[in-house]
Amino acid sequence: MSTPPADDPRLDQSAATDDSLIAAHEKLLGRQKDDQGHYRLLPLGLLFFFSALIFGGGTYLGLFSGMFDPRVYDEHGHPPKAGAAVAKLDPREVGKKLYNNAACNTCHQVNGIGVPGVYPPLAESEWVSGSDERVIRILLYGLQGPLKVKGVDYPGTAPMPSFGKVAGSGYNWSDDKIAAVLTYIRSDFGNSSKPVTTEQVAAVHAKEGDRKAYTQEELLKLP
Amino acid sequence: MKNGFVFFAGLFGSIALSWGGLVLGSHKQLGGLAPFFDEGDSTSYPNRPPGVAARGQLVYADLGCASCHTQQVRRPDVGADQARGWGERQSVARDYIFQLRPQLGASRIGPDLTNLAGRKPSAPDADDLMKLLYAGSELHPAYGFLFENRPIVGERSAVALKLTGALTPAPGREIVPTERAQSLVAYLLSLNNTYDYPESRPLPKAPAKPDGAHGAAPTAKKEGEKK
Amino acid sequence: MTPASSNAEVTAVDTQARWPLLLLLGGAIKWLVIAGVLSLIASIQLHSPAFMSHWPAFTPGRTAAMAETAFVYGWAFNAGLGLALWILGRLGGEPLRALNWVVVGTFAWNIGLTLGLVGIALGDATSFSLLQLPGYVQPAMLVAYGAIAVAGILAWSGRRTDSTFASHWYAVAALFLFPWLLSAAQATLIWTPVRGVLQAVVAGWYAQGVWSLCLAPLALAVAYYVVPKVTGRALPAYEFAPLGFWSLIVIGAWTGARHLTGGPVPAWLPTLAIAACSLLLFHTSIVLLNLRGAIGGAGNSVAFIAWGLLAYTAGGLLDAITSFRSIASFTQFTHLVTAQQQLAIYGGVSMILFGGIYFALPRLTGRPWASAGFVSAHRVTLLIGLALLLVSLAAAGWVQANDLNHKDVTFAAMAADTRPWLLGASGAQLILLTANLLLAVNFCRSVCACCCCCAESAPVGSPFRPAATMEAHAS
Repeated sequence: MSTPPADDPRLDQSAATDDSLIAAHEKLLGRQKDDQGHYRLLPLGLLFFFSALIFGGGTYLGLFSGMFDPRVYDEHGHPPKAGAAVAKLDPREVGKKLYNNAACNTCHQVNGIGVPGVYPPLAESEWVSGSDERVIRILLYGLQGPLKVKGVDYPGTAPMPSFGKVAGSGYNWSDDKIAAVLTYIRSDFGNSSKPVTTEQVAAVHAKEGDRKAYTQEELLKLP
Repeated sequence: MKNGFVFFAGLFGSIALSWGGLVLGSHKQLGGLAPFFDEGDSTSYPNRPPGVAARGQLVYADLGCASCHTQQVRRPDVGADQARGWGERQSVARDYIFQLRPQLGASRIGPDLTNLAGRKPSAPDADDLMKLLYAGSELHPAYGFLFENRPIVGERSAVALKLTGALTPAPGREIVPTERAQSLVAYLLSLNNTYDYPESRPLPKAPAKPDGAHGAAPTAKKEGEKK
Repeated sequence: MTPASSNAEVTAVDTQARWPLLLLLGGAIKWLVIAGVLSLIASIQLHSPAFMSHWPAFTPGRTAAMAETAFVYGWAFNAGLGLALWILGRLGGEPLRALNWVVVGTFAWNIGLTLGLVGIALGDATSFSLLQLPGYVQPAMLVAYGAIAVAGILAWSGRRTDSTFASHWYAVAALFLFPWLLSAAQATLIWTPVRGVLQAVVAGWYAQGVWSLCLAPLALAVAYYVVPKVTGRALPAYEFAPLGFWSLIVIGAWTGARHLTGGPVPAWLPTLAIAACSLLLFHTSIVLLNLRGAIGGAGNSVAFIAWGLLAYTAGGLLDAITSFRSIASFTQFTHLVTAQQQLAIYGGVSMILFGGIYFALPRLTGRPWASAGFVSAHRVTLLIGLALLLVSLAAAGWVQANDLNHKDVTFAAMAADTRPWLLGASGAQLILLTANLLLAVNFCRSVCACCCCCAESAPVGSPFRPAATMEAHAS
């Protein structure tokens, strides 16, 4: 069998033995960096490159690690300070979400126009935009019987359920949530009344305690 | 590296260090993550999925759904995840604590499914999902093997698919989802991330500082701290 | 033919290890072809989801899992292990010991893998990327790997000279570290799963570990050996090689949360991965400095390795760039990620392993490859297929990323936009499969020739020229 030519792709000839390969490289490793007294650019360049990478990486870690806190998901964030004031969410946003996630929008519709003859509208309704004392009670305790909205009579075949944390309620919403939803419906659908605060709801809740749903007559007696 | 012992110790130390830092470190932080108790609702979130949904997740995993669908929503300013209506907030670790085998996924050939059942206003219902699984579409493979084509014995099955057009089974026959299909659909319909955890809220926008004072914007303050 | 003090190219180290190592390399090439078929199916399913997916064994998720598993555990590990053992044996200067363990381990590894693929087809995949093998075959794979690796560790500890070489470090690191990686991942993902997203963190740690602590070191062990052997020159800037090695081993696995950017994990995990990806550039640049002699070097094996080296460098650079959040938020979840993975694992690791196989086989069989035409055809076809694959996937990913980040583009529109490019990717998979069939045929013919020849009579004369002694040049 003859030796194939050097460029034969069937066989790559070795140009060095294994022993000499190890020995030659071992010599390179053991060599002093400046044994020839020559100034060499490469080690300095690599050293600079490595330091730059470590510096950059370290800075990046420091800036964007959120102090290694498990509660920080946004790399620009910082861990919450103990005892810091709670950031209030916009009650209109909370209210909108509740309105659309709970049962409100199924009857009163996403745009608050209701269903003619069955569910009264919220849009531009005097009950919504008017007295806050009344609208708080409607949401907290519910409403039964006929109701006149924007000059149209609704027979009351579909009563308004109670949403508050009161006996017989299927929702048990906190006063916070009641206030948020009221604030939302009083600011959307073309309404622009002043917001309802949690304190107002809590005051009504404390004053009335547990009670059954209101009727139109009872509400009209209120301011 | 002539000293074998030091060499192997170095190798082992490197891998142990990364294990300790990444895995043990995050385990220490997240391993004991508890559900979030909402005092307003007197309920804790996330809800534990019903057994049938937990079984459905294993069907999801074994079919390899995660090779085309992700289940993670990013922040509003990252990608178009939330603009596409895939979720109302970013996914956080707490969302997954009750999942046996979280299916985060790494590829979006199809849409994200994190909040499939909570999508407004277009959340699919069981019929839509069953039909997609049975018949497939231009974009989705058909998994007929999850269904049984059988003769109607007595009354038509309550869970039989309501099919129309070319898909209608032969007279006297019905297409009934197997238990696997039913648990898969139950799982898909249990997916939602509508509850807002304190840590999932976006950072407040930095208020303009007239004096140009340096330093970070007011930090994200977390409700959990107060309680 | 004494192993010591002779400069004969083929020694007892090769002849005694011939059959066990040919078994490993043959297994590798068999799995390469199988993985090629599976990848082709998976690629077709990306643009035509109905293709074969009505069979439960071939849902798109399962085909993708099988293709990835066959490629990594079948091709890359078998080939990498075979070459690493051969190199450790040759550098050690003594015939490999514990070769019967290697044979047992090879059979166990390949039977386990077969069972694992059947398991995935039946729906037992774990759904963790790069760790799809069902839980019940994983312990067998662990034991099998240990049985194969033992020969390498013995060759290292029983080496004739006290000195070591870069190939030693990389090969031994891969042999030693994989069992730790696999057992730790198995314990915390399969046997006592950690909770929630921590599974994704462990899976990421494992996947990046397999890449940076096993596959990349196995390939680098081959490259560091073959390049100076063929060129006959000492590696330039070799005094930095230890630094390059340790920077990979120490930093590599910290890139674990690489693909969790923006995901449901605390910000520090991806931040750490991003910093680690950038630090790995130091490793990549040292490898490029050391092995730059391969680029433009003569010989078939070196040509393969040169392409692999370029892909490895490009892969490292792209990895560092695309890990940053502003870019990751665009490329994440698209075919761009797939393209990058293929660049690293096919373009980088596999090209170097091909080079290693082309260099090793003639020495193991004692005769040249059966056909020169097949060797050249393989290289050309492979390069064309790979270039087409990377370009199509990257283009498809680019289109997909643009569509995904635009909220009004429907998925139907996205599928239509990416379709031409994905068709290109399927074509590329077909070319790659053809290329690898050429390799398989050539491998079989070469091995058969060796078989027949051994049965008849001993080869007359060696085709190898005696190798010269290497001088340590100043770099």
